[in-house]
Amino acid sequence: MTDESTWITQARQGNDEAFTNLVESYQKPVYNLCYRMLGEAEAAEDAAQETFLKVYQNLARYDRERSFATWLLSIAAHHCIDKLRRRRFSSISIDEDEEGQTDLPDHSAPDPESETARRQERERMQGCLQSLDPTDRAAVILRYWQDCSEVEIAQALKLTVPAVKSRLHRARRALADLWEEKPSHLRTERKPYGSPAF
Amino acid sequence: MDHRPFEDWLLENQPLTSDQQRLLNSHLRECSSCAALTEVDLALKSARLVEPAVGFTDRFRVKLESRKQVLRWRNFWGFALLTVGVLGIIVWGSLPVLRELIHSPIAFLSSWGASLVSFWSSIVAILRAGMVLFKVAPGFVPAYVWAVILISAGGSSMLWVVSLMKFTKVPQGV
Repeated sequence: MTDESTWITQARQGNDEAFTNLVESYQKPVYNLCYRMLGEAEAAEDAAQETFLKVYQNLARYDRERSFATWLLSIAAHHCIDKLRRRRFSSISIDEDEEGQTDLPDHSAPDPESETARRQERERMQGCLQSLDPTDRAAVILRYWQDCSEVEIAQALKLTVPAVKSRLHRARRALADLWEEKPSHLRTERKPYGSPAF
Repeated sequence: MDHRPFEDWLLENQPLTSDQQRLLNSHLRECSSCAALTEVDLALKSARLVEPAVGFTDRFRVKLESRKQVLRWRNFWGFALLTVGVLGIIVWGSLPVLRELIHSPIAFLSSWGASLVSFWSSIVAILRAGMVLFKVAPGFVPAYVWAVILISAGGSSMLWVVSLMKFTKVPQGV
């Protein structure tokens, strides 16, 4: 029996410490999914915490034949999609790094300029992601950040595999169009009051 | 420019032959749309996981405890309100009876006794009538009507079971 399986069994029997171990193990993928979906550190933290609370309350319903990670990410994705639909989140806050966001610069980077360029590219990507339909965005995040297969994405988002394929194609095409349209405008928008180096 | 096959190759992430790869590379130099698709793919593949601020699990512990506290209070108040409500309804409903019982207990008990006897007699009469009907009715109803009734009952039961199975299936996405 793996650690994960043991923790699930123990958590189902009411052992909160075992559930905390699950939170510790999955906090990064869940938080990343929420952050990429919602575009804000604070909203992502809330959504990730709510996801784990939902998982805690519904652990008895978890079908052990399925992957726990897929189930967990499915709950996180649906929570974020609901949140986006309710609030009609329209714009991305691209000042996250100033608010304690821990997408930290790569200290192993050979020079600050290339690290800055990479950071701007990440922000540009995040900006493009926010323009996608929530379900398409979730599919892209599950595919690229969580390395989920199309079958797993279909299970997580309650779609058919052809629908996942079609959504991924559409999303990538839309991202490419946006990428092409505004290559560097976020750079000038981001910190108009900041250092010229950034 | 017709970039349909190239776009399909890029979107499908299919393995390409060396000729196809050469054609694609030359197309990418000319077509900004397909080049953007490749760039986006690379950017997505190289994107890192964003991590939560330190102490996420501790914050979860605190949140879980406060959620449990809220649930405990909600359950306590829900149970208390329900109990008070039910007791209130019982007292309110039984007030006239209690008044009568206190006022003249013998008359009240005898009237209740009579009601119970009458109720029991009605039940016995209905049961007897039902038994007679059960014995007589089959002779009047043709066999095909019985068949239709049985088939309908079977179909309804099956529909009921299937519906129960479908609607009580454990959801996985919560």
